[in-house]
Amino acid sequence: MNLNFDKQPIDILQALANWGLIFGVLVCIGLAIALIMSVANNKKKGVSRFFENLGEGLRDLFGMSLKRLGAIANLTLKEAIRRKALLVFVVFAVLFMFGGWFLSDTNNRAELQLSVYVSFVLTAIGWLIFPVALILACWGIPEDIRLRSLHTVVTKPVKRSEIVLGRILGFIGVGTIVVGIMSVLGYVWILRQVPEEVQSRLVARVPVYGSLNFRDREGEDSEAGVNTGDINPYRSYIEGASKARAKWTFDGVSPGVLQTDPETGEAALLVENSFQAFRTHKGVIDEVLHGQYTLVNPETDLRVQLPQFPIYEFRQNLAWIPRELIYYNEETKETETKDLFDDMVSDGKLIVEARCVDVGQFLGMARPDLFLRLPDRPFASSFFKSVFGIWLMMVLIVVLGVTASTFVKGPVATILLFTLILVGTGFNQFMDDILSGEVRGAGLVESGIRILNHGNPIVEKPESLEESAAVQGVDQAFTGMLWGVSHIIPNFNMFSFKAYTASGFDVPMKVAVLPALLMVIGFFIPCLMLGYFSLKLRELEAK
Amino acid sequence: MSENAVIEIRNLTKIYRDFWGRPKVRAVNSLSLDVKPGEVFGLLGPNGSGKTTTIKMLLGLLFPSEGDIRILGKPATDVAKNEHIGYLPEESYLYRFLNAEETLDFYGRLFDMTSAERKQRTDELIKMVGLDKARRRQLKEYSKGMTRRIGLAQALINNPKLVLLDEPTSGLDPIGTREMKDLIIKLKEEGKTVVMCSHLLADVQDVCDRIAILYNGELKQLGMVDELLASQDKTQIVSSSLSDEAVDEIKAVIAKHNGTVQEVTNPTTSLEELFLQTVAESQARPGQRFVAESEKAANTTTVD
Amino acid sequence: MSQLDSKSRKLVYFAGIVVLSIPIIFLGMPSRGAEGSGGKLAQLRGEYDLGEATLGKVDPSSATMNLVLLGFRGVASSMLWKQRIEQQENKDWAGVKATTESIILLQPHFLEVWRFQGWNLAFNVSAEWDDVRDRYYWVKEGAKFYQEGTVRNSKFPELYWDTARVIGSKVGNSDEKRYFRKYFLNDPDEETFGGGADPDINPNGIDNYLVAQDWYQQANDVEIMPGIDQHILMRMIFRSYPARSQFDYAKALQDEGLFNEEGHAAWEKAYDMWTTKFGREVFITPAGGVRLEFTDKDLEELAAEDGVTVEEKQYWTDKYQKNVNYRYWRTLASAESEEAARDAHRNIYDGKQLYRKQKFQQSEKDKEQGGGTETWGAMEYFDQGMKQLETLLRDYPDLKNEMAAVEEAMLAVMYWRNIYELRGEAIPQTFPLQDIWEANQGMVPEIQLQFQRENTY
Repeated sequence: MNLNFDKQPIDILQALANWGLIFGVLVCIGLAIALIMSVANNKKKGVSRFFENLGEGLRDLFGMSLKRLGAIANLTLKEAIRRKALLVFVVFAVLFMFGGWFLSDTNNRAELQLSVYVSFVLTAIGWLIFPVALILACWGIPEDIRLRSLHTVVTKPVKRSEIVLGRILGFIGVGTIVVGIMSVLGYVWILRQVPEEVQSRLVARVPVYGSLNFRDREGEDSEAGVNTGDINPYRSYIEGASKARAKWTFDGVSPGVLQTDPETGEAALLVENSFQAFRTHKGVIDEVLHGQYTLVNPETDLRVQLPQFPIYEFRQNLAWIPRELIYYNEETKETETKDLFDDMVSDGKLIVEARCVDVGQFLGMARPDLFLRLPDRPFASSFFKSVFGIWLMMVLIVVLGVTASTFVKGPVATILLFTLILVGTGFNQFMDDILSGEVRGAGLVESGIRILNHGNPIVEKPESLEESAAVQGVDQAFTGMLWGVSHIIPNFNMFSFKAYTASGFDVPMKVAVLPALLMVIGFFIPCLMLGYFSLKLRELEAK
Repeated sequence: MSENAVIEIRNLTKIYRDFWGRPKVRAVNSLSLDVKPGEVFGLLGPNGSGKTTTIKMLLGLLFPSEGDIRILGKPATDVAKNEHIGYLPEESYLYRFLNAEETLDFYGRLFDMTSAERKQRTDELIKMVGLDKARRRQLKEYSKGMTRRIGLAQALINNPKLVLLDEPTSGLDPIGTREMKDLIIKLKEEGKTVVMCSHLLADVQDVCDRIAILYNGELKQLGMVDELLASQDKTQIVSSSLSDEAVDEIKAVIAKHNGTVQEVTNPTTSLEELFLQTVAESQARPGQRFVAESEKAANTTTVD
Repeated sequence: MSQLDSKSRKLVYFAGIVVLSIPIIFLGMPSRGAEGSGGKLAQLRGEYDLGEATLGKVDPSSATMNLVLLGFRGVASSMLWKQRIEQQENKDWAGVKATTESIILLQPHFLEVWRFQGWNLAFNVSAEWDDVRDRYYWVKEGAKFYQEGTVRNSKFPELYWDTARVIGSKVGNSDEKRYFRKYFLNDPDEETFGGGADPDINPNGIDNYLVAQDWYQQANDVEIMPGIDQHILMRMIFRSYPARSQFDYAKALQDEGLFNEEGHAAWEKAYDMWTTKFGREVFITPAGGVRLEFTDKDLEELAAEDGVTVEEKQYWTDKYQKNVNYRYWRTLASAESEEAARDAHRNIYDGKQLYRKQKFQQSEKDKEQGGGTETWGAMEYFDQGMKQLETLLRDYPDLKNEMAAVEEAMLAVMYWRNIYELRGEAIPQTFPLQDIWEANQGMVPEIQLQFQRENTY
């Protein structure tokens, strides 16, 4: 859980613009297809029919009655409850009754245990709500059509948009009940299950991240440090006892970030790191490597070196920096006193430099490896934000499921959505990697030809392929399709905040929660429209 | 045709197509008719004659391949028309997990009725269809007849101007059938327009003012029931305790007047009548099980 | 069947059920515990030892999971495996541990899964941590994982052997051995273990090599059961490990400067285990059974038994002895059991200690006063130790061909020469162990490195 925190907040305007573009294009394509179909089906009257339907559609979408929505949502809720959808709780209960047996491992370190418990609860809730939402959403309307109970409803003055939205709201209601109860039970379970000695670690840390720059061993600015051969290039390493530094610049540093140092009882700045050690020689085996911070005022370039500290890997390395900094000035050879805010911070900016103390050893670091810590929030804050993420995922599944179920039957909708989720969960990265060229694979046809010729991707492209415009063209078309798919299929991993919660962080709103929320809304609007029109334009009776 | 018709159907055609879009069945063919306010209109025809398809097109559940429908002055696809329509489907397609009260309340909400209105209307209708004792039971426990009644109740929840009944008596026992017919007549008395379709001639005959007979999607007959029935040039004589000699005498009389005897039988009564009579008798005289043939024997002579 | 009425139709169904049940019962009836009871499948399972319970302890959660997954456990475990690799790359150790446990639930009887994952925990994951205590924790995790493997699969000798290897070699012979061996007796997690050993891997609080020896012995006990083979080592080498662990133990005590009775007894026990236990086992060669420890009478008897010549037996015995270096270990054990050997080692050891303390020579004053060994410097100890070692090697010339002995001799000379160099004095022309020093000049760079290693911590 040490990785993947290096996420930047999304640019909302940019996201909106992208969404608007894709949405606009899709709407145009949809309208064009509808117009063509309408003309094909209705001959001369086609054009006027098309506009009639469009106008009616807009009226139906914007003039929905709350009472009718409520009635359908309520009906959906009752249906789910009376049809025993809530039996899922039995599974949940069994899981939790015995989950402890599976998970508790007296050998395991308590702090590792903690993250396992938290992950387990959040994963379990996610996995249990997933089939419930999927099946309810995909089968609701098709069953309604099959049993013709929908006939009785649509012959009342109910707009089809109200049926789609009412169903969505109802299923969301069911999901909310399920998620709500499970999360409360899960929360209590965690509190009871977690060993007493680590109860105090059940918190939500609130980090303030800075931006990271490096200086190499000669002291020159550089993009990154040294790669020590780690498979994962996430961390960059700086050499010990050289001029190499990692330099974090923090913004918006004000006395508000101070909290009380439990030892001195005074207000202090809490800095936490999760550096990694890399040894080029054994060194002193029973001593860990040491690091050292230097505070730098970005404007006056005043430097205050803080005491050295040991690096305990995969643990929380905390440093309390008191407001009153007493340090030894190398130049004046005197002990001086500076104020953390008055002397070190300019315009809310503060630079923290880190170095490795030991000769010939390296310390590895990534941007999120050093952060200022605001006062902790209760664990519930992080936990229930993670639950909110699961809830959002449930909402999206419901929205997509209901939409799919307006134009295909239950089993088809289920498979469709299941595939969508599978791709959206497991293959997002893969698709991006193919598109960015990270994964060598060439185009579809080209790969096929290579496979037949027993040529791997590293082999030079055969000349015949190079010249074949047809192959290139087809491949480009497929790549274009892949691009489209990768941009339209939602990335379901976005809803999983459990890494934050399990590693004791609060779930950041701007980086995690907001994008997920926007994504749900972004899908909700076109889905509602699509669902409405496909329900409106289909003959409910036709089988 | 008249301006104020409740339903206007013009040149209505419905072609069912297969997967490839090729015409498969022509369910309704160039149908044109009007339904006037306040009448009970019957759509008749054997199974598969296009009655239900027509009703479903009226309701917007199916889209016409050709032709136009105006219902209460609005196109069939306009949901606003439903404000004043009550529809009883062929089988009551209701939510079986709801109870009677919840069902009516739900449909009431769909009409945007206030809570007080819904409560009052629900009460009235449940009493009217005689489900007072079963109002809290889920519909999945209902018998077919009870389901039919609650179906009817939901169709009337909005006090509609136009009531569409698809096979209203199917699945009902004779008492239910009778009650249903009485109810239709009552609706007519309240000034509502009723359109019903059925393949049971007797039902239609009893309640309809006008009927249309469909066969293979085409309109074969349209007119007042009395007129349609009266146009038949037949005389039926029903008598009891008639000896064979007497029958021969009557035959002679008919022959004398240039009539032709088509059929001389000892028929049973119609099943419906017999059932009704039996039930009525059993209720009047509990304990009696059997009525001797000889006492009831009757000869029916149908002459031309 | 439509002509039949409902009753007879039901009778036919019933008869069908009964008929179809017969093969099911015949095949699938569970065993009632007694040998040969139960259906055909149960009998076969018993015959080939394939029952869950006969393979090892049954874990109900594992059985349930495999039932729930129907036939998909292979797919599921492959996915988990991939996930575990990713977690390891991302240094998500809690995840690695949890995923490994899940894989095991799915594949409780797949030997390579246990071997790979156990190795991974003890060797790969532990190396990722910087703090030596953390490393030790993951070595323990690996050992415990293998132990769990032996519980679930009581008939895989490999898993016992792997457990022993982690507890023996990984704890006792890695770069961190000084700490690991100490931690094995006094776990660094004092909060949990109160300064004692982790009872899960060291219930009796004894030396790691002795615990390892016990596991090697268990591996041998399982390996010798009928129908069981191990597939990791030549059989003879595999079976030599309990005794080898005793050698390691004795050697470790020596390296740590423990030259008391305990150290002496360890060597004697090593000799005993090597010659009377391991040496007396019969191993099958192309010329029939041989014993590595044998008398002429043994040889003749075995030759007669298998109908081969004594020379042939002798040839194969030699060959096999060479495979496990039998004679060297035998000689070493008997040499080290001697007082002289102990003295030689002790003196060299003490010399090294003093060298590190930079007390190179007995002071002139002490020399004049005839001060005892307690006033000696490194030089005096090395002189003495080298002389004793030379005598020992003369008595046991076989040792001269062996790396360990030569190394010790070379290293001692290197220390000794170093003292002269440090003091700026000429190195004497003749000195004890000179023949070995001169014969092995090729090794000097290597010895130099070892010398540096010993003096840099």
